[in-house]
Amino acid sequence: MSKEIILDHWKHLYASRVALMFSSEIRDLLSLSARPDIISFAGGLPEVRALNYQKLERYIRRALKMDGDISLQYGSSDGYYPLKTKLAEVMKLENIDANEEDIVVTTGGQQALDLLAKIFINPGDHIIVESPGYTGALNSFKSYEPKIVSIPVDSNGIITSELEQKLKELENKNIQVKFIYVVPNFSNPSGYTLSLSRRKKMLSLAKKYNTLIIEDNPYGMLRFEGKPVPSIKELDIKSSNQNVVYISTLSKIFAPGFRIGWVAAPHPILEKLTLAVQSADLCTSSFSQRIAYEYFSDPCWKENVVDFIKIYSARRDIMIKTLEDHFPPGASWSKPEGGFFVWLKLPEFLDTKEILADAIRNKVAYVPGSGFYADNRGRNEARLAFCSENTESIEKGIKILSKIIKDKIKLYRSFK
Amino acid sequence: MKKNIAVLMGGRSLEREISLKSGHRVYGALKKLGYSVTKLDIDESIVDNLTSEKIDLAYIALHGKDGEDGTIQEILELLNIPYTGPGVYSNILSFDKIISKQILVSHNIPTPPFYFLNESSFMELGASKLLPLVTENLGLPLVVKPSAQGSALGVKIVKKQEDIPDAIISALGYSKKVIIEKFIYGTELAISIIGKDNPQILPVVEIVPEKDFFDFESRYSPGKTNYFVPARLPQSLTEKVKETAAHVHDVLKCSKLSRVDIILDKKEKIPYVLELNTSPGMTDTSLLPMAAEEAGISFEELVEKIIKLSLEDD
Repeated sequence: MSKEIILDHWKHLYASRVALMFSSEIRDLLSLSARPDIISFAGGLPEVRALNYQKLERYIRRALKMDGDISLQYGSSDGYYPLKTKLAEVMKLENIDANEEDIVVTTGGQQALDLLAKIFINPGDHIIVESPGYTGALNSFKSYEPKIVSIPVDSNGIITSELEQKLKELENKNIQVKFIYVVPNFSNPSGYTLSLSRRKKMLSLAKKYNTLIIEDNPYGMLRFEGKPVPSIKELDIKSSNQNVVYISTLSKIFAPGFRIGWVAAPHPILEKLTLAVQSADLCTSSFSQRIAYEYFSDPCWKENVVDFIKIYSARRDIMIKTLEDHFPPGASWSKPEGGFFVWLKLPEFLDTKEILADAIRNKVAYVPGSGFYADNRGRNEARLAFCSENTESIEKGIKILSKIIKDKIKLYRSFK
Repeated sequence: MKKNIAVLMGGRSLEREISLKSGHRVYGALKKLGYSVTKLDIDESIVDNLTSEKIDLAYIALHGKDGEDGTIQEILELLNIPYTGPGVYSNILSFDKIISKQILVSHNIPTPPFYFLNESSFMELGASKLLPLVTENLGLPLVVKPSAQGSALGVKIVKKQEDIPDAIISALGYSKKVIIEKFIYGTELAISIIGKDNPQILPVVEIVPEKDFFDFESRYSPGKTNYFVPARLPQSLTEKVKETAAHVHDVLKCSKLSRVDIILDKKEKIPYVLELNTSPGMTDTSLLPMAAEEAGISFEELVEKIIKLSLEDD
């Protein structure tokens, strides 16, 4: 007697959102990028080796010796107060006038995204994202089942004329947009920076349409050149508005292993967020926060950021130069003034998902573009992270990629 | 004294993740069985790792390149370490679907009609002009697949003539040769064979994917495919399918272990052979453990059986 094999006995119990989670060929291929023989432009992994491990050891020892009972204990859900004073100082360096009371600490910027989605999104609600946009944010948002409206970016960031049109359209249908999500500085994945005039425009639109901007700023302090652009939060505070929820993280200016991010937002939102932290994980790791406090109490941290900038800018330079020297005509890329990523556009007939297997067989990895769009576009685009590999590997990897792409173009033309 | 077994897993293949899943599961079973077990990822230090301590047997839980193309088997032969699954020759024949399909044809074993073309024939010999002829002879839809790649990676079903080039370009990303095959409407079946002189043919597994075909996502996402064991076939057809699988196992010189994938034509009831796998998956959603379970063989017993077959060679 034939019987059906049930591989998962709990299929009838899962929430509908689980249908969005499945094995993916791309994810499996990208897991190969962790192998040491692969030159990986895939993950945006900070160069933690540039940190002074001996000093870190000292901070850790001090956290235990001086404050073991605090470091090893549960902490308050809104974060370790002394660390919050340091985070406010970090924000002041970016001209954002915030203090400890305006901040809630989260387990990385990623948890902030998830919790903000949790407190704002009901299934079917409309949110707006820049497109291409950060996959981690898209995935966090998606699990709360919103309708995601994508607004394209150009080299000056999210195109505000299109944003305005969309907001108008939605208002005419009596649809309230819950928030607009952007990474304004050296965006992930595009590397583009939102211009000052567009920041101002966004803010006026948020005010007009009575909605929020989630400004995610992990890379702002990693500017290699050019003049910093005021953050949307700074503009918001200066014009006495309350339309911006600001997220940042210590992952890029310190280390992602500590999992520390934070949110600066209007107080009523922070209250809801604190409750959300409480129900999610009670508090961000006290131990991590205590060590981070030590790190940011030592003025040397600023020198470390300068070191990071030197490392990343040299890596960006070699990536851009090798792209310019070797990539075929028809390909273009962003030239970020900071951050971690270059956004690559290939001729439209090429599919970066299809090229990935070939690239990995030749020991180079990148992330195909379509994962950064909520609407399956970006098939001929890709994100190249320059932060994780040394300059020699970057040069070698881009040359390999260039050869693969040239061969693909030749192959494609053979069908014409 | 219990044998010292190395589970070879991971490696450089595009199926690395699947191999790690198979390997971890096999490792767990061997531990339960009381063997002394080590996990070995395949990289540049594999020869050193295989020679640094006495290994009584290598369990090959690798999939794809290196693990199923004869490479690791040849290394193990040189090092005189017994290993699970078929030998070098069989792996070479089975891994390249062009070679294995040609062998099947020469033995009158049904396999979907096909053409193969390599990358240089398109780039240097103008083979793209042949595509209308290919469609004329095989009809639509067509299956376009890389000649040497597992887990359905790079496989596409093409319904329109104009989509063939994209499918070929995609398949050529996985392998330098591409197979263009007639699409057979029918039931997908997997037949696992285990043993040496009188191998045991395990119950036939019937695969019913939610999608058009048994692609990567359908294979490794529980719930995306329904499986029936034994397949819902009349006895006579089950026998016919099993006979075909056994024949394939023989002509591709397999010994000890294989899984033959067949599609049973809906109308004519012809069992068309798609491919033979020399290192069948051992993950939670894999077909060999499913078939074994139906035959009353638990996962641990299956692993033990596979090992004993290889140790008998000593």
